[in-house]
Amino acid sequence: MLDIHEKPEPTTHDDPITSDPREFASRVNSWMPHDLMLIDAWFPLAHSFAVGKKPVRRAVYSQPFFLWREANGNVIAAETHPNDMLAATKSEYTDADGRYPVIEKYGYVWGWLGNPDNAAPEHIPSLPYLPEDGGLPLHMLGTVRFDCCAPLSLENLIDLTHADFIHADVVGDEKMDKETVEVFHDSETITMVRTCVNKSVAPIMKVFGGVRDDVQQVRQVIRIYLRSHAAIAYGRFSPGDNVQLFHPCVPETRDRTRLDYAMNTSNVKKTNPFRYMMPKASYKVSRQDSSMTSPQSPRYMQPEKRKDLHSPLDEAGQKYRVLMLSLAERQANGDYAYRDNVSADCSEIIGYDGK
Amino acid sequence: MTEAVWWAVARSEEVSADKPLNVDLGDQPIVLWRDANGVVRALEDRCPHRRAPLSLGCILGSGAIQCGYHGWTYDGETGRLINIPNLKGERKYPPVYKAKPFGVHESGGFVRLCADVKAPPPADDGDALPLSGTATVALQHEQYVDALFDDPSLLISIKGVRFSPYLFAELTEQEGQLMLERSCQWASPHWPAPFSSEFPLSLRIASDAVTGETDLTLLDDEFNLLLHATLAPVPAARGVTQVRWRAVLSPERSGLQSKIMGVGTPLKVHENIDGAALRVLKPSASIHANDLREKIAARSAPQDEVA
Repeated sequence: MLDIHEKPEPTTHDDPITSDPREFASRVNSWMPHDLMLIDAWFPLAHSFAVGKKPVRRAVYSQPFFLWREANGNVIAAETHPNDMLAATKSEYTDADGRYPVIEKYGYVWGWLGNPDNAAPEHIPSLPYLPEDGGLPLHMLGTVRFDCCAPLSLENLIDLTHADFIHADVVGDEKMDKETVEVFHDSETITMVRTCVNKSVAPIMKVFGGVRDDVQQVRQVIRIYLRSHAAIAYGRFSPGDNVQLFHPCVPETRDRTRLDYAMNTSNVKKTNPFRYMMPKASYKVSRQDSSMTSPQSPRYMQPEKRKDLHSPLDEAGQKYRVLMLSLAERQANGDYAYRDNVSADCSEIIGYDGK
Repeated sequence: MTEAVWWAVARSEEVSADKPLNVDLGDQPIVLWRDANGVVRALEDRCPHRRAPLSLGCILGSGAIQCGYHGWTYDGETGRLINIPNLKGERKYPPVYKAKPFGVHESGGFVRLCADVKAPPPADDGDALPLSGTATVALQHEQYVDALFDDPSLLISIKGVRFSPYLFAELTEQEGQLMLERSCQWASPHWPAPFSSEFPLSLRIASDAVTGETDLTLLDDEFNLLLHATLAPVPAARGVTQVRWRAVLSPERSGLQSKIMGVGTPLKVHENIDGAALRVLKPSASIHANDLREKIAARSAPQDEVA
């Protein structure tokens, strides 16, 4: 049987998750993710290795970012290409020189979209299992895309029951003895912890990871940093190796998502093929996800009279919707403040012990 | 789409118990499959959970359809949700937990759908005609039907037959259908149509006023049947028209040219239409088609209200 446990959370007037079930349902069902544009956030625009002397182009909500390195190695993030002599407009997101605030951390170049005066290093999300100075080998890094809007990608991610069906050939099917889902949130993050007892072993662990058993104990954590559209996907498997994925979903446009992932498998023995194959699974898994989220995406572009149906397993996804809508509402009212600290070490929250 | 109209959205052989089939009725996507008893089922191709297409899922041994996204499983007849696999154990779901079902009728090798599940079924077609196919055409449904009236050669080919620009009978309304009869020639060398005093063939075109489902009957000058076909154009997404067709060649055909019709495929329904020719095709036979459609609709409206 499925058990839903939620730790009691302090209920304040500021909690965006209302305790009124009708109001909660109303918000859940007003979900039009294409309309969301959250600013005053750091976005992981590129792997550090991808930025060199020649400018590379990125986008957040169609807003152009050109990234390159100066001779001293510092990264520049500009609104226009240095060769673009015709660029006449400048947004409010850059300084007088057309430059965005930019930071390099965890092996990524992070660009700030929002009021430059509000850019602060403490708004970079905590990613405990990525080295702060970067340096992961290239085989652990890659780029994939989702043919849908970024919030749908993340709603897809935080409801891991989807993996039992569309990724069954990679991570195993729905067969298990017991499944428990816990959900935590604050104003800037949502965290879902899924515990599975005697779940069928992930095929990729059988084929490449040397796991011989038929079942394994699984604890999967998805933690989403709402504004940055970036997620931690951390899985503990017994028997098997832990999976440490950073899963940013950069909204390049309102209906297309870029994912520069980092799958840190340095915890896996160098002689184990799983160390090299697991990061490559992203290419297959992302296409599987896109096969569902791509046709799903246009169906959320317009107001819809019919309400989505939900099951108890959708609690995390429903709360994700409400939290995103709440942030958007606050920003529409001119409130861009971070009420919770996203850079505080979240190791304990996700159950990461450094191994 | 009008509620109580039956549309031939698939040929029988296109619908299986192995893999769901996605079809359109205008902008309405629909999933078709056969249940454990071989009965065709049709639901809106949209899981009410997270709006993913059900046609990307699978058909279970029980005959139910399972969404490929989170495994929600639906009964084909009612559309009712019958299982969420990750919610272990027996559960009952409220009646509102359902996908939208469609009325289904299968006969004559066509699968027809109606948005009204309680609509009375259409008349049976009899045996399925042996030749069949499906063509997807980048032309709007009404334009497709009108072009069939004005110049069928843009849309179809009948082996060895040339359609002339002349009619034996212009478009009229007969028993709720739009009918005309076009003069045809054999494709062999002969006087051009404008200078021919006789036409050895005629093609009767009889179309349903709403669906455009059309019976084609090719007769020789002694009124012997040479070919009978049914074309079922159905509006699909983005203004595309999907045409399912079935045909039979008469086994008894006299004369060399009619016998040659039996070599290879006697009927072709074009996927690609000559846009340049279509652009300059002037409305002729179809020019009063809309007036006739409106007349038929006006006559049937009060009957519907009585019914």
